[in-house]
Amino acid sequence: MDPQLSTDDTLPPTSAASLPLPATPPDALLTDAPTPASNTNSFAPRTDLAQLTARTEAVRTQIGQVIVGQQDLLQLLLTALLADGHVLLEGVPGVAKTLTAKLLARTLDVPFSRIQFTPDLMPADVLGTSIFRPAQGDFEFRPGPIFASVVLIDEINRAPAKTQSALFEVMEERTVTQDGRTHRMASPFVVLATQNPIEQEGTYRLPEAQLDRFLFKLNVGYPTLAEEIQILQGHHSGFGGTPLERVKPVLTATDLAALRQQVGQQRVEANVLEYIAKIVGQTRAHKALYLGASPRASLALLNGAKALAALRGRDFVTPEDVQFLAAPVLRHRIMLTPEREMEGGTADEVVKTIVQSVEVPR
Amino acid sequence: MRKVNIKLLSARTGGALALLLALGGAPALATPPQLPAALPSLSAPADTATAPPLPPDAAVPQPVRRPAASHLRELRGQHDFQYTDVREEPEQAGFWARLLRWFFRGLSRLFDTKGGRVAWDVILYLLIGGGLVYAVLKFLQVDLTKVFGRAPRALPLAYEAGQENIHALDFSQAIAQAEATGNLRLAVRLGYLQLLKQLTDRELIAWQPDKTNQAYLRELETSRPTARAPFAELTRQFEYIWYGELPLPAALYAPVRESQRQFGQQLSGAGVRPPAA
Repeated sequence: MDPQLSTDDTLPPTSAASLPLPATPPDALLTDAPTPASNTNSFAPRTDLAQLTARTEAVRTQIGQVIVGQQDLLQLLLTALLADGHVLLEGVPGVAKTLTAKLLARTLDVPFSRIQFTPDLMPADVLGTSIFRPAQGDFEFRPGPIFASVVLIDEINRAPAKTQSALFEVMEERTVTQDGRTHRMASPFVVLATQNPIEQEGTYRLPEAQLDRFLFKLNVGYPTLAEEIQILQGHHSGFGGTPLERVKPVLTATDLAALRQQVGQQRVEANVLEYIAKIVGQTRAHKALYLGASPRASLALLNGAKALAALRGRDFVTPEDVQFLAAPVLRHRIMLTPEREMEGGTADEVVKTIVQSVEVPR
Repeated sequence: MRKVNIKLLSARTGGALALLLALGGAPALATPPQLPAALPSLSAPADTATAPPLPPDAAVPQPVRRPAASHLRELRGQHDFQYTDVREEPEQAGFWARLLRWFFRGLSRLFDTKGGRVAWDVILYLLIGGGLVYAVLKFLQVDLTKVFGRAPRALPLAYEAGQENIHALDFSQAIAQAEATGNLRLAVRLGYLQLLKQLTDRELIAWQPDKTNQAYLRELETSRPTARAPFAELTRQFEYIWYGELPLPAALYAPVRESQRQFGQQLSGAGVRPPAA
């Protein structure tokens, strides 16, 4: 992942005395620098984040049994889960996009369904259809596979726009309207979609309206050399079998609802709100962009930052959280100008320059 | 050579006139073709006793029909039969047209010589070659500035107007004023900004408005690892107070401010030197 996660930031606040101080060389400076520890107890989250930390750590542990590395990906998936958002995973074949999504779904004790998108898929195949019952003389609605709490849509860009548009309502409003009746989705409702950026044959570009409905677009990259060696070692030493069986559900729908409520109470200072608005606003005036981000992007950045701050053990949002999430939130919501695309520019580069151009509130 | 638009003539004056002009343009057809001597004779065999005599030729030659003079005049008057090029008079052309004509005539004279043609070929090949090289470099995304042995220039960032310039702010006065007005939260913020300025002055961090506190901590870890832990704690305090809107009674403010002051004194003290270049 592009943004670098500060490992220290993931730790819950501890007293300064317990911070790992490096070995001090004889001629080092600040050797007797007093660590300001006298009042550290006052600087702790005002809401109890212990439950949230424990639950999310349990999810990490479960997934970590199978997935090697991809820590930032996991962090962002958990962020999206806590922020009640959908995630689009993009990566070349074989980097465990689908497996990661399936494992995350398995750690949740909620209904799960998987839809393999194909070019001939119809909206009714996703949403459901009404079937006539001759005995009763009426129509009965048969829910489609979208009616689950965690829906994995594999290869989402293989279905045409007609089928994609069937997801608009359910992704944004969490309802499905058919034959004049509105069916409400159960909570939680999370769509985890995967797509492959390489193949062009038989694929369709996702409509902008649908892309905007994804909280994050996460680029799943290759593992590092050490991680790949670890993958090989695990496989060689008899990793076989179905990896999904090793993962147990550790989070119920009720737990998740409570954690989300806690995330909703995170504090966001006015200057940080302005910082978010400025970053998103800059996308609408940037000369390299044909289409800027919508206000929905500002809300996504805010909700994501609140969830990430909670995962990092804080009860308030800092600009660091906003910067970390800027690319995952904005990269799929902006469109480069044709000139910039021909020059080889990427959305991530533009987002980076935009973040660099806005002063951090301090 | 006469230019005859047969198709047009046929359309406008009918097939008869076209045929007439075509016949007039091909006088050789008026006389019968002479057979080559080498061909075998087509005359009757020597024994003609049984052949009946041919009747005398009674055909009357048809006179050549000529179109009426008035009809010809009418046709000549039609625009379609005007085959002379109508050139625009120079004085009727506008300034831009005359300028272009002058330019292209000059260019034509220049390249109309043998040397000019060679030069034109060289220029053409250079342009094609340059275009191909540029396309390949662009396709490979090669940074051309590195070819000439220098790093790409860092463009100045289009920063938003900052709230304060930490290098121009009188921190002592501003903190004293904030304390006097009871705005302790602002005083902590100013104290933290003062520490960032001191770290920048000692070249322990590189101040940039877009950097976060965590970015400075990462820089400090490289430039002065021993200073990282105490500064991390001061950063945490600042973030709880500023971003976290932690209520800050005077009892809590005093030790926080004292910690900042002590860290600042350590930075300003004799022991702290800028890192070696």
